[in-house]
Amino acid sequence: MNRQIHKLGIAALVLFVLLFVQLSNIQVLSAKRLNDNRLNTRQAVKDFSQPRGAIQTADGVVVAESVDTGDQFQRLRRYPTGPLFAHVTGYFSFTFGSEGVERTYNNELTGKATKLRLNSIGDLLLDKKHTANVTLTLTQKLQQVATQALGSRKGAVVALDPRNGAVLAMADYPSFDPNPLSAHDQKVVRADWNQLTADTNKPLLPRTYRERYFPGSTFKIVTASTGLMNGVTTTQPVYPSLTELPLPQSGGQTLKNFGGERCGGPLPQILAVSCNTAFAQMGLDLGAQKLTSGADAFGFNTAPPLDLPAVARSLFPPASAFRFDKPALAKSAIGQQDVQASPLEMALAGAAIANKGVAMAPHVMAEVRDSEGRVIDTFKPDQWKKPITPDVATTMTDMMVGVVQHGTATRVALPNVQVAAKTGTAQTGNNTSHTWMVAFAPAEAPQVVVAVIVENQPNVSEATGGVVAAPIARAVLQAALPNP
Amino acid sequence: MTAIIGAIRRNTELGLMILAAVLTVGAYVLASLGRTSSLPANAGPFLGIVIGLFVIAHVATRRLAPAADGTLLPLAALLNGLGYVFIARLDHTLAGLQAVWTALGIAAFVGTLLVVRRTRDLERYRYTFALIGIALLLMPLLPVVGRNINGARLWVRVGSVSFQPGEFAKVALCIFLASYLVERRELLAVATRRVGGILVPDFKYFGPILLAWGLAMVVLVAERDVGTSVLFFAFFLAMLWVATARSAYLLIGAGMFAVGGFVAVKSFAHVHERITVWLNPWPLANGNGFQTIQALFALAAGGIFGTGLALGSPQRIPEVATDFIFAAVGEELGLLGTCAIIVAFLLIVGTGLRIALRAESPFEKLLATGLTTIIGVQAFIIIGGVTRLVPLTGITLPFVSYGGSSLLANYVLLALLLRVSDSEATRRSTVAAESVAA
Repeated sequence: MNRQIHKLGIAALVLFVLLFVQLSNIQVLSAKRLNDNRLNTRQAVKDFSQPRGAIQTADGVVVAESVDTGDQFQRLRRYPTGPLFAHVTGYFSFTFGSEGVERTYNNELTGKATKLRLNSIGDLLLDKKHTANVTLTLTQKLQQVATQALGSRKGAVVALDPRNGAVLAMADYPSFDPNPLSAHDQKVVRADWNQLTADTNKPLLPRTYRERYFPGSTFKIVTASTGLMNGVTTTQPVYPSLTELPLPQSGGQTLKNFGGERCGGPLPQILAVSCNTAFAQMGLDLGAQKLTSGADAFGFNTAPPLDLPAVARSLFPPASAFRFDKPALAKSAIGQQDVQASPLEMALAGAAIANKGVAMAPHVMAEVRDSEGRVIDTFKPDQWKKPITPDVATTMTDMMVGVVQHGTATRVALPNVQVAAKTGTAQTGNNTSHTWMVAFAPAEAPQVVVAVIVENQPNVSEATGGVVAAPIARAVLQAALPNP
Repeated sequence: MTAIIGAIRRNTELGLMILAAVLTVGAYVLASLGRTSSLPANAGPFLGIVIGLFVIAHVATRRLAPAADGTLLPLAALLNGLGYVFIARLDHTLAGLQAVWTALGIAAFVGTLLVVRRTRDLERYRYTFALIGIALLLMPLLPVVGRNINGARLWVRVGSVSFQPGEFAKVALCIFLASYLVERRELLAVATRRVGGILVPDFKYFGPILLAWGLAMVVLVAERDVGTSVLFFAFFLAMLWVATARSAYLLIGAGMFAVGGFVAVKSFAHVHERITVWLNPWPLANGNGFQTIQALFALAAGGIFGTGLALGSPQRIPEVATDFIFAAVGEELGLLGTCAIIVAFLLIVGTGLRIALRAESPFEKLLATGLTTIIGVQAFIIIGGVTRLVPLTGITLPFVSYGGSSLLANYVLLALLLRVSDSEATRRSTVAAESVAA
């Protein structure tokens, strides 16, 4: 019997050595392959379920927070304001990743940011919560005003403080509810995602900073500024009064004013009525090089350094594109043809004029506080572009005041506060047009600049921008200013 | 002499028990640190209970089996303690129950040592044990008390108490088999009949074994409990082979296993499914292969050193507190932790077989062999199943997994091993003393 028991012992040893070999294989040799396996959501779940700070508005409204659930993800991300701040906060989805502030400030929210770590070295042993809360520059009040003013018309509203680049409101329509996308039941998440992505109105698209439109006549503030920087004055030249402008290199093409109107005159006058023929002529006179440089100086062809993901670059063609295509140059000078701008870019162009020629870097983060409320990071204002001199900025402001006083933007005027503005109407074909407004106030010491676009409005006329977009801009300015 | 051996062994046991207690309490404190930011409020009482139970078990061996081996109880205590920490970390409700089961397990351990004072007491009641074993196996199939849980019918519910009779049946049948085989081993070793060219033992002697074996197999197949079937098959075969020293039994057994396995794969969907998952779980990642794959991910996440107690996410594995607790250990304690578990089982098996080698009476030899084989095979098939070394068969990891029946049965088994150990050590020292006196 003893021989058999010995052999049994050897068999046991062999079997347990086999277990050891298999364990070494799984836990060491193949560990990396298993960890990286497509089906292995272990790390992703861990990342997804770690504690996460809240996001709140400048006026103290929580717009994103985590609540304990006790399921495998442990905490659920909630967005109490639903679609109102969806394009700012973004969503936090297990299957589809994250967007917005959730993405750009992930390290701060989860406590991975360096400053947080340095602060919490002493707390390491205590395993304290070292998540942080992000406070936005936006207020719920202004966001609501902008959203309500826009209503259910596709479009976007961006309001900035031109003095420091703080985004005050960033509203667009349609938006979406980030709650279902951040849910834990991935069937719900996928169904919602499929519905949102199939929607031809693109509710997931943050129109304010990721969509590009023809800027139309609002681009004339860039053309006019570039003209002023290159010898054009408020009196000279006087552009001839025309209904249409014959275009060079076009074989007889002409560029017409809206509705066949006749216009011309010096710069303040043509800006007030948004005279296409005159600005097209100005573009031709400046030449491709100067107009392109002017647009670049205002931030075209560069993505604004906004602290949100995938900010769109606004487009203006390179000078070489116009060498054999003067009609394109003329049309680009009035914001048509190949010019495309995001609402954010047009707000920044307005901000440069409002802020003595300096566009400040736009941002939505005001400050980051640790879980005990101590401020650990504040956004430091930073100059982004300096397209024009303070003198040119003053001149532009005066002329834009004129647009409000006796031009196309009279409907944006506020009692007691001088508003400066420029309207825009960009033809899209189909007999509709995007209607624009860039405005800031108070003109003498601007505190708010707002850019508004409403997509695909019927009735192509230069006045349209003044009619459709102006009340929205006006409402936002009024709400944003302390004593309007 | 007995007193001296006893003193040395009991002091070794005491030292190792303290070590097991320190490791358990340390692991518990660490696990609590990982889950919450403060020290556990119930660390004091917990420490008291653990040490109290360990002290009771130790004092019981001092009184009732003073010369028994001193390493088995501390090894079981370590596995039990570590298992408890993991269960507490995974599920608070189960933790409370497991604490009760542990207390009952220790009580069963003490009770067994108390009742079974001499191994020949067991030998005398062999057919009683056979009947008890078979009855226990059949119980889950009874209409009123039997319960189907997770597709296997191996539970019995009486009033509000559920238990798995199979766990106790293995001990009962092991006792029966040991005594029966010892009595008939010579007859079984001699082949007297020729069936189709092969010499086989007389069916008259072989019959009862085949009956018990066959019945166990049929019952287990009817209960869809693959793990226990394999366990029974393995220890029946090992005991038969050790008793008769005839390798032909191993060959016949292997043949039967192959045929039985083949038939099972062909005719039972759940067996077929297990084999499919074992061969390649990846295409079934969200279906039948989910558990296996999640266990592999957990083990891989642990690496060499583990994520740290309570810092992994083993709760993603279904049945992690019972059959798959080994994967949780692998995730949070790493290869070091899993090796510690393997070594602990290897030490138990080694010690058990050493007890078998030293035992004088063939019955004690065979009993110790059988009991040790049960622990070893059970540990191997579940660890091998979790690590995909062998097809997965649902069975508990002795002393570690959550489960009252399993814990109680294994403590009874442990007590029987210690009883055999005590008896052989007492005999040896008596012989030595006599030779000195002479």
